[in-house]
Amino acid sequence: MEITEKTINDVEIVFLNGRLDAYNSNLVENKLDELIDSGKIKMVADLSGVEYISSSGLRVMLSSLKKLNKLGGTLKLSSLQPYVMEVFEIAGFTQLFQIYDSEDGAVASF
Amino acid sequence: MSANPIKIKDKISMDSLSISLFTDLVEKVCVIVVIAYLLTRLKYFTEVLDGKLTIRNQLIMILIFGGISIYGSYSGVNIFGAIANVRDLGPMVAGLVGGPIVGLGAGLIGGLHRLTMGGFTCIPCSLSTILAGLFAGIIYLANKKRFIGIWGAVLFSILLETFHMILALILASPFAQALEVVEDLYIPMILANAVGMFIFAFMITNLIKERATKKERDKLSAQLERRKKEMEIAQQIQESFLPHTIPFIENYDLAASSIPAQEVGGDFYDFIPISSEQTGLTIGDVSGKGIPAALFMAFSRTLLRAKACRNPGVGRMIESVNNFINEEPHSNMFVTLFYSILDSSRNKLTFVNAGHNPPLLLRNENGEIVRLSTGGVVLGAMKGLKMEEKTIDMSPQDLLVLYTDGVTEAINQQEDQFGEERLIKLIKDNRDMPSEDMKNLIIDTVYDFASGTPQADDITIMVLRRVM
Repeated sequence: MEITEKTINDVEIVFLNGRLDAYNSNLVENKLDELIDSGKIKMVADLSGVEYISSSGLRVMLSSLKKLNKLGGTLKLSSLQPYVMEVFEIAGFTQLFQIYDSEDGAVASF
Repeated sequence: MSANPIKIKDKISMDSLSISLFTDLVEKVCVIVVIAYLLTRLKYFTEVLDGKLTIRNQLIMILIFGGISIYGSYSGVNIFGAIANVRDLGPMVAGLVGGPIVGLGAGLIGGLHRLTMGGFTCIPCSLSTILAGLFAGIIYLANKKRFIGIWGAVLFSILLETFHMILALILASPFAQALEVVEDLYIPMILANAVGMFIFAFMITNLIKERATKKERDKLSAQLERRKKEMEIAQQIQESFLPHTIPFIENYDLAASSIPAQEVGGDFYDFIPISSEQTGLTIGDVSGKGIPAALFMAFSRTLLRAKACRNPGVGRMIESVNNFINEEPHSNMFVTLFYSILDSSRNKLTFVNAGHNPPLLLRNENGEIVRLSTGGVVLGAMKGLKMEEKTIDMSPQDLLVLYTDGVTEAINQQEDQFGEERLIKLIKDNRDMPSEDMKNLIIDTVYDFASGTPQADDITIMVLRRVM
């Protein structure tokens, strides 16, 4: 799992690359916590590089969303692959997250 | 004019002399290396090193190091024209490793033996050997009964040989002769003993590291055993939460199983008797695996059961379950849930699907598959979410398959997923099978598909067919 980030205006975009499974979820959670602790409360997670997500991955996304919401910010998602989108739909996560086709759309919406 | 032939002859014989001296030195060093190595393989030595001093192992160490000391007396090496020996080495090592008693014992053996050899340095040499063992033992005590390490040991050996030389100057007479001997010998003695001590100390340090690693490994091994035992007990507890029997429902054929991936899992299914005509059928999956998932599963399943019997309604009931879960901190775990009530006299199924894989209903009439979904969000995500409910009719020979994602997300060695399509095809191709057989067929097919790869997620399946 590779994680890179980019800042545009005051929005932090995190690019995830790899499988979001039980093993990698820890890494991602730590990274996101690090960013949140450093004061980034407007975040976009770009999942264009994520071809698989497990319930652990969903949990990390949900957990980060709640943390950011509590701090007055939020987490938006962009560029979901079809399979991952389907998983989000079944779990009802499409009702919890704002999801965009591209990172530009997500950033612009802030 | 040619060079003086005598000088050349001398030079040649001097060279061959120094070569044979060198090989003699190497041989003696090798003997020390072998003795040191064999010592570290001896059970009594490792016991002493671990601090388990008994009369027996101390006695054996005294005899062995005393023997090494005597060997030192006989195996002098010619360095720079003077015969250096490592008599003091045995007692020094004995004391550093085993304490003052072992050191003194070895020193007495080597020292008293030296007395029998005579010579004008007899008294200082014997005394030095005895005291070497004693001083080393004192250092051992001062270092809290631990070996002082390579450089400490080498430094000690240098200091002790210096002390030995001083003793010779003080106690041997005539002084002039003693001074001559000391001048020749002091550097070779220090060198020989320092090298000998380095070899022993190096081997001992390696042995200490080896034993520390072994201890660590044994500790971890014991921990692992304990964990395994805990998991076994957790598995037994969790098994008690899953239904032990399939209830009898008039005119319906019902079957179900759950196979956890690790010893305990996050999947569950349940049959909740609500009334003589109404039975709750549930299937769910807690995020994650292992003990945390199992604990959350036990909690969710119990909560569901408790509320179901008091609330015949479906949508509202699940909303209150969701709110209840969200009251308490629950580490952001969530549970996907398909909750339904089968009314077997009216042949209706009322259900809520909170984020779970849509169960597949095969209509007998047209052979089409209907996915039972209500768009609900998983439980535990957020408080106050609305849960829509739906009702469908069950017609004769309609077949309903409920499953968790351990089925559809099973992967084979090419990393393809089993997928919903394969499951649908399997159901359609075997539509007339009794529920128990259908359930087993699905399990076997998934296992065959994933053959070779370990089970990644819990697998749970429930099959319901209306008979007539």
